[in-house]
Amino acid sequence: MDPAKNHIVITGLAAISAAGIGTEALREAVKRGESLLQPIPEEVIGQSGHFWARADAFRAADFMPPLKARKFDRCSLLAVVAAGMALKDAGIVAGSLEPTRIGIVLGCGLGGIANADEFLRGYFTSGAEGLQPMLFPNVVPNASASNASIEHGLKGPNVTVIQRFCSAESAFHMARRFLEEDRADVILTGGVDEVFPAMLNCFKAMGQLRSFGANFGEGAGILVLEREQHARNRKAQILAGAAGVRTIGRPAPGAHEEGYDRLLPEPCTADLLSLSGTATTDKWLLGHLPELPRLDIAPVLGRSLAMGGLAMAALVLMLKEGETGLHVAASPEGPYYAIDILGGDPVRS
Amino acid sequence: MDATKRKRIAITGLGIFSAAGKDVSSFTEALLTGKSAIGPVDLFDVAPFPSGIGAQVKEYDPLAYFSKREAGKMSRVDQFGVIAAGEALRDSAAASHYSPYEIGVSMGAGASGMLQSEEWLSEALAGRRGNPSLLRGVLPDRTATILAETYNLCGYQSSITTACSSSASSIGWGADLVATGTLKAVLCGGSDCLSRLTFSGFNSLKVVDPAPCSPFSLGRQGISLGEGAAFMVLEDETDAIRRGAQIHGYILGYAVAGEAFHMTAPDPGGADAARVMQQALDRARVSTGAVGWVNAHGTGTPLNDMVESKAMKLLFGERAPQVPLVSTKGLTGHCLGAAGAVEAMATIICLNRGIIPQTLNFRGNDPDCDLDYCHQGAKQSAARVALSNSFAFGGNTTCLALSKAD
Repeated sequence: MDPAKNHIVITGLAAISAAGIGTEALREAVKRGESLLQPIPEEVIGQSGHFWARADAFRAADFMPPLKARKFDRCSLLAVVAAGMALKDAGIVAGSLEPTRIGIVLGCGLGGIANADEFLRGYFTSGAEGLQPMLFPNVVPNASASNASIEHGLKGPNVTVIQRFCSAESAFHMARRFLEEDRADVILTGGVDEVFPAMLNCFKAMGQLRSFGANFGEGAGILVLEREQHARNRKAQILAGAAGVRTIGRPAPGAHEEGYDRLLPEPCTADLLSLSGTATTDKWLLGHLPELPRLDIAPVLGRSLAMGGLAMAALVLMLKEGETGLHVAASPEGPYYAIDILGGDPVRS
Repeated sequence: MDATKRKRIAITGLGIFSAAGKDVSSFTEALLTGKSAIGPVDLFDVAPFPSGIGAQVKEYDPLAYFSKREAGKMSRVDQFGVIAAGEALRDSAAASHYSPYEIGVSMGAGASGMLQSEEWLSEALAGRRGNPSLLRGVLPDRTATILAETYNLCGYQSSITTACSSSASSIGWGADLVATGTLKAVLCGGSDCLSRLTFSGFNSLKVVDPAPCSPFSLGRQGISLGEGAAFMVLEDETDAIRRGAQIHGYILGYAVAGEAFHMTAPDPGGADAARVMQQALDRARVSTGAVGWVNAHGTGTPLNDMVESKAMKLLFGERAPQVPLVSTKGLTGHCLGAAGAVEAMATIICLNRGIIPQTLNFRGNDPDCDLDYCHQGAKQSAARVALSNSFAFGGNTTCLALSKAD
């Protein structure tokens, strides 16, 4: 294979969020910059003054028969529908590519926990008689990606990753590598998350509703990655280039400079800086982020562990052809990511 | 393609903490003698369930390993992970040779801190205020963070959560992180523990055997759950040799895929499992003829064992009866998120000892499972290469191609 054609490019996007369904809704919401966070009803957590950003416009029945929708948890529904939208955006129709060459590597923060909570409530309130076996298969965090793979026939690499607020970026890193290694021709990556009362009550119990658990959002942001040559061979649109990924696990005590050098080596330039997770408030990063025009979707759409998928999709949407984007994501206690995105088709630009 | 430039990934550290052995030495002894760790579970009330057995880590006192303050900050899974990872890191001594940014953590997670979170939920449902610290491990990424902090591993931090294939994938991905030069060394593996969620869940699906699991046997009724942690330290072979590290074996290659068939049932034909095994061999550049034996996913459920046997026939063809397919779950129980790492560890230990381990708890020949499962006892083997399979809810499938030390 010609290494020059081995660049990884982005050929499709999907977004479901508090902004609505689809990438145009995301683009418009980010442009407007108005918060879509809503007050959490007091009866949900027994307190007022807290906010969430739910994807209220998302109704599974708009995309599949209600009986079918009932077998999925909400996180899986978001992933199944968004994966279908992403494939369509990339111009991939069922049967057009070898199924074993299409994979999915997804970040998922809170997936499975809602089902686990409901399953255990049945047990604790009614004993073994209260167990609902149909809930159990979807208590696993990989239910979202795996249900999406089943629904869309994706038989290539299939991995779910979680690591704090960098879950989607961790998935992006892995997906990109799998393509470089020729483990697949196309990989859907990004993140999916749901927000639900039981988890908010956990945040409340841990005293995190005004810190890490504040302003949680939900949704799915999926990017379709493939090698440039593969995309060109099938005459796919090229929305952006996924130029590079740098990461550190956490700042090493007494060796912070080395950490900055690894994550954000000089010169650190870009036309647009996308921030995700806790990057805007992270004390370690403070003063080390480049002074660039910023894109921060959290005040608009809320924040979640895998919201990086939506943030990276928003960055791709906002970059003009030829512009460069730098996506920086951080988490309390790590990890940290810096991802370089090139706007538009790298050859045309 | 850059796969041609892949480095040879050496295993320079091993660590385990499980019901079958609380360190590599005792685990090896259990493997060699075939002493099953499956017995009565008393970690929580199991009376409501048809099966009350599992491979529980018994006689475990956290204060034998941690201060009260340290133990209070960690779930049972975190504690198991820190203990096993500590053994692997001491064995490797890699941490003293690299910058903290050159070593990272690739974790395979499962139910994680669910056991403690269940206690909080139970209290809340009873109208009482549970200790919030019980919720610390509710998310499965917590153990990786604790390992990174405890051992000052600052280069990378992630948790793969693909149920029962999590930690096998974490080892494969860890090898990739070294192969790409992202890291000089990586701590990879998994940790998981028994919980009411998984115990009641698998029982509700009626896939738990009331007797110790008997993979590939006639009359098998399902799994026996287990718990534990296993970790490896991986490095580029050249770096390992340069610093004089002991090499326990190699990660030759791996493959991950989704079956895209069903959330809880495997494709009955076994074609996808065979495909993933073949892909792992292709990545390893090893022919099927070089494979001495396969450490099966081998859960003991009627369907899994039949499908895995079919996959063996698809992969090895006429040679299938000569390639033992063995399950170590009769020894360790099914350790879920840690299963892949525990079984990869068992595979490496047995390759180096020149044996193929016994599949325990034989009940009789099943006509649907007509291969060599080493039911009658361990066998001597000069094999250099073995595969280790991990299958999971969602159709997530991982295969590791492993070899012994040179």
